[in-house]
Amino acid sequence: MQNSEAILATNLTPLIIFFGAVVVVTGIMLGGAYLLGQRHHAKAADEPFESGIVPVGDVHIRFSVQFYLLAIFFVIFDMESVFLFAWSVALQEAGWPGFIEALIFIGVLIAALIYLWSIGALDWRTRRQRIDSSDSRS
Amino acid sequence: MTQGECTLDSNADNIDIPSDVPQIARELAERTGINDFTVQPTRDGITTLWVSKANLRATLRYLKLQAASPYALLFDLTAIDESRRTHRQGLPDSEFTVVYHLLSFDRNEDIRLKVALTGPDLNLPTISDLWPSANWYEREVWDMFGIAFEGHPHLKRILMPPTWQGHPLRKDHYARATEAEPFSLSDEQEDIEQDALRFVPEEWGMRRQSEDSDFMFLNLGPNHPSVHGVFRVALQLDGEEIVDALPDIGYHHRGAEKMGERQSWHTYIPYTDRVDYLGGSMNNLPYVLAVEQLAGIEVPERAQVIRVMICELYRLASHLLFYGTYAQDLGQMSPIFYMFIDREKVFDILESISGARMHSSYFRIGGVAMDLPKRWDQRLREFIDYFPARLNQYDKLVLKNSTLKRRTQGIGAYNTAEAIDWSVTGPNLRATGFAWDYRKARPYSGYENFEFEIPTGNNGDCYDRCTVRVEEMRQSLRIIKQCVDNMPEGPHKAYHPLTTPPPKDRTLHDIETLIQHFLNTSWGPVIPSGEASVTVEATKGLNAYYLTSDGGTMSYRTRIRTPSFPHLQMIPMMCRGMMVADLIAILASIDFVMADVDR
Amino acid sequence: MKHWTLTEADKDPAPQSGPQTYEEALRRNFLFAKLEDMVAWGQSNSVWPFNFGLSCCYVEMATAFTSRHDIARFGSEVIRGSPRQADLIVISGTVFRKMAPVVKRLYDQLLEPRWVISMGSCANSGGMYDIYSVVQGVDKFLPVDVYVPGCPPRPEALQQGLLLLQDAIGKERRPLSWTVGDQTVIKPPKPSYRDLLTEERMRTGQLRSPDEI
Repeated sequence: MQNSEAILATNLTPLIIFFGAVVVVTGIMLGGAYLLGQRHHAKAADEPFESGIVPVGDVHIRFSVQFYLLAIFFVIFDMESVFLFAWSVALQEAGWPGFIEALIFIGVLIAALIYLWSIGALDWRTRRQRIDSSDSRS
Repeated sequence: MTQGECTLDSNADNIDIPSDVPQIARELAERTGINDFTVQPTRDGITTLWVSKANLRATLRYLKLQAASPYALLFDLTAIDESRRTHRQGLPDSEFTVVYHLLSFDRNEDIRLKVALTGPDLNLPTISDLWPSANWYEREVWDMFGIAFEGHPHLKRILMPPTWQGHPLRKDHYARATEAEPFSLSDEQEDIEQDALRFVPEEWGMRRQSEDSDFMFLNLGPNHPSVHGVFRVALQLDGEEIVDALPDIGYHHRGAEKMGERQSWHTYIPYTDRVDYLGGSMNNLPYVLAVEQLAGIEVPERAQVIRVMICELYRLASHLLFYGTYAQDLGQMSPIFYMFIDREKVFDILESISGARMHSSYFRIGGVAMDLPKRWDQRLREFIDYFPARLNQYDKLVLKNSTLKRRTQGIGAYNTAEAIDWSVTGPNLRATGFAWDYRKARPYSGYENFEFEIPTGNNGDCYDRCTVRVEEMRQSLRIIKQCVDNMPEGPHKAYHPLTTPPPKDRTLHDIETLIQHFLNTSWGPVIPSGEASVTVEATKGLNAYYLTSDGGTMSYRTRIRTPSFPHLQMIPMMCRGMMVADLIAILASIDFVMADVDR
Repeated sequence: MKHWTLTEADKDPAPQSGPQTYEEALRRNFLFAKLEDMVAWGQSNSVWPFNFGLSCCYVEMATAFTSRHDIARFGSEVIRGSPRQADLIVISGTVFRKMAPVVKRLYDQLLEPRWVISMGSCANSGGMYDIYSVVQGVDKFLPVDVYVPGCPPRPEALQQGLLLLQDAIGKERRPLSWTVGDQTVIKPPKPSYRDLLTEERMRTGQLRSPDEI
């Protein structure tokens, strides 16, 4: 245990220096860009670019639910990856029981994935695109 | 040729129909009982009938739906301001004449219906329920002339800005920008104009939200790489799905039709080049053919073959640009560079013949500007040898690419009946499987002497529109090869007093020729009065110039019927319910040019 | 910034063996320049155009971007879709009255430093379109740096215009920061190339006949 602490301490200094250097360089880039150069004031410059025409409507609108679904799927499968990362770091210590538990975990999620795939939750096409493609196949 | 009059009596029962009344008028009289026509003979031989406002819809309905071999295509809908016209003997009194030009594929014939409007009562019933493509045509007539169409769903300005006052193509509207105040754009004015351009969904019947989600309104605006010019599509989006789309044009309106009334017959030729700016001299052709028809000039054979060759070269250049931008819009970044190299080779050839690359204005009334230079065929033969291999390479690069096929097959499909309803012509119509090419159906300028085929598609989707054009490139190359191999000798201009610039060799010998030459070069030719409309198969579809001459040095009315104008109307129908990426594929496949749409 | 150029190997006085003078050593190993010259050099050799085109001139501008004419060799490597990332707007084509507020808005959204090239006769002065719907020249509402004549100008003409612009940018003086210093941009004068080249052109004796290729 003492060995690993010593190793940790000597490896930490370059990391801190590196972190400091990153902050300094980023600070120069952002700060320099903020301070240098001119500013020009035009009303249109503060408005969003929409091909040269004034935009209509607000961006704070209710989106349709398929975006929410996609976000939830991402969260679920991303969390799966996080857990798998955590397990892979402790692979040796977990041993065979750990491997089997991980397999069960992955299996449950694969079953969920197959279910989602088959009910069409991953189908991103619009209704007309589905109709058109089924027409062309029939 | 004088303009005679021929009216049918209003006695429906025992009519003695004179024998020179056109067949279609007889049919109309028999089937519908409408017989108060006036037949107007025109230089181009197209049946022209004046109908009354009350009988207009019934006549059009008969022609479209009930006649045997119906006149299915609404070719053009325009108007003429007759207030300053002097040579109108035998025609009904009219302040504004609205012209409906229909085309029948089965009969291979045109018919032109005219309605006379007078006085303060300038309105007509709409025909946008008979032909969906009449929507924009009627809006254009309202914008340019102030003639209202009752029953039109959205009669708003289409070519001029929404804040414009006046109707530009009326004879009392000013033509030049220098006749008005110099343009300035203060901040307040900019705000006013931008507000006028702002899209208001409620005006077009669009809701702001559905039960579950709100709609986002996005401008695929005048400045966007994928809209090929200054074209705006206002989209109503639900997430990524297009609920509705509204095309907005007029950002490229250069007043080419009004310019025709101010330029002499000869000096107007460069303006025609710039209508379909990828087509170059292909646009000169219908214009000079129409003037030659009015003047009665017969063009010599060498000039005809030169014209065919130059037109087909421009067709190649235009289709190459289409091909490159089509691939680029669908994500392939390299093919456009290869195709532009081929375009450079075509431009090299055109520059060596005519002196200019894009806008060569090489055609003249009566022939072409100059004869072909010595060794003109050298570069052409090199190109003919070089090009087919490149096209085959592009096939492998573009057309056989599976991602491209996934993105274009089945997208934006329509069938032939829908296409004809929406006045689609050219390769977009042939992609639906209907083999109709004006060069074969009604050959002009010597096309009957050439051997070539008409490519068609099957499904009328984006992919087929591209393959049809690629095949057309191969056929164009075939025609060019035939021109190069069989170029006849002879004069490059007709020997006629109205040829402009006139032939010089006799001017130094006799006084009449000298006078004619002098007047022709200074005023320009004085074309006899009459009306003529000539259609050609241009790079994008059927392009027609309908010229009305009042016996002067300038045209009285120049009407340019362009193919891309009705094509853009179909966009909402093709893209509703699809995603934005599909709309990009559709826009890429229509092959329009904004100068062709707005003139 | 023309302190250093490419010289061919046999023309360059090779370093002699033995002691060099102080000046020679400095010349070979150090580059001295003023900061504003460096900045101007950087700006002029990386002018990024905005993907904007109105009319027929846009096709010739696009031809200038493709392989044969290759504008990328002048530093205009990337063509940006958003005005905030672009330096240069080339008004290529006729400026229509309906389009004028759109162009002005896009110009406003271009961030400093920004330049305008007016390409083609229609953008320079309305061209042959003296008609009700066309603005007679984009300089009615935008400040223009370079005017490129032609209808349409050849891609080579546009590139000449771009080189002139690069020269002009090299001679410009811009404020270093919005917090400090004078806020005006000092631009060099715009000579007319027609006047500069008239003498040479008047000396032309032989013109090629159009009958030969």
